[in-house]
Amino acid sequence: MNLVITTRRLDDVLVLDLSGRITMGEGTLVLRNRIRELLLDGNSKFLLNLADVSYIDSSGLGELVTSFTTVRNQHGHLKLLNLTTRVHDLLQITKLLTVFDVYTSETEAVKSLR
Amino acid sequence: MAEKVAKVFALTIPSALEEMERVRAFVEDATRRSGFDEELSHWIDLSVNESAINAIVHGNRQDPGKTVFLQITTNDHAIEIIIEDEGAGFEMCDVPDPTNIENILRPSGRGILIIRSFMDEVDLSKSHSGGCRLRMFKRIGDQDPL
Repeated sequence: MNLVITTRRLDDVLVLDLSGRITMGEGTLVLRNRIRELLLDGNSKFLLNLADVSYIDSSGLGELVTSFTTVRNQHGHLKLLNLTTRVHDLLQITKLLTVFDVYTSETEAVKSLR
Repeated sequence: MAEKVAKVFALTIPSALEEMERVRAFVEDATRRSGFDEELSHWIDLSVNESAINAIVHGNRQDPGKTVFLQITTNDHAIEIIIEDEGAGFEMCDVPDPTNIENILRPSGRGILIIRSFMDEVDLSKSHSGGCRLRMFKRIGDQDPL
């Protein structure tokens, strides 16, 4: 299943519910384009909910990093929510857990972004 | 030893990223017919995915006239995966450590690290065509391997 992104707004925080695969090609492109669109619309606080991400490869991890740096370069914030065990393992292996703020509670994550 | 008869699965693809769907189906078939559980199958799939993309993109530079050869050999105790391209060669040590602070925000360069984290052995040598031959090996039991 290719990547599907559903966007919810909680005050000034945008929660992006990601579902499917983040892999080289369409998956990474969908995420990149969505983040850019939302930044152009003036948004700056993003929470990526990865609970339904079934598969991510190194290109997908790279796209998460690109999203993080793109948002940060626009003086915004991007945090991660609900990592699956596999995604968590990959972030640990690649030491990207030192880059991202990761939450298991949406309430806490949103609170940290306000 | 329950079984030491090896199953061998092989696929040759042109160097195009569109072929990755075929690679996925190939790995799914190999892991299913080998009787591997979902978790093991996932990490095999990821390792083959990463190395096949490397072979297509960095090895063969997406030249449709060049091919990538994939072979998965399994038994009850081990898995051996070989990926060969027809490119100009690739040195794993040339890939900067993606976990170093100066590289941590780079968008690429994590594939080999992911493969090494799962596999017991990862070796790179020259293929018959002069390109790269990546061999990955994983023990899955306490018995003698392949």
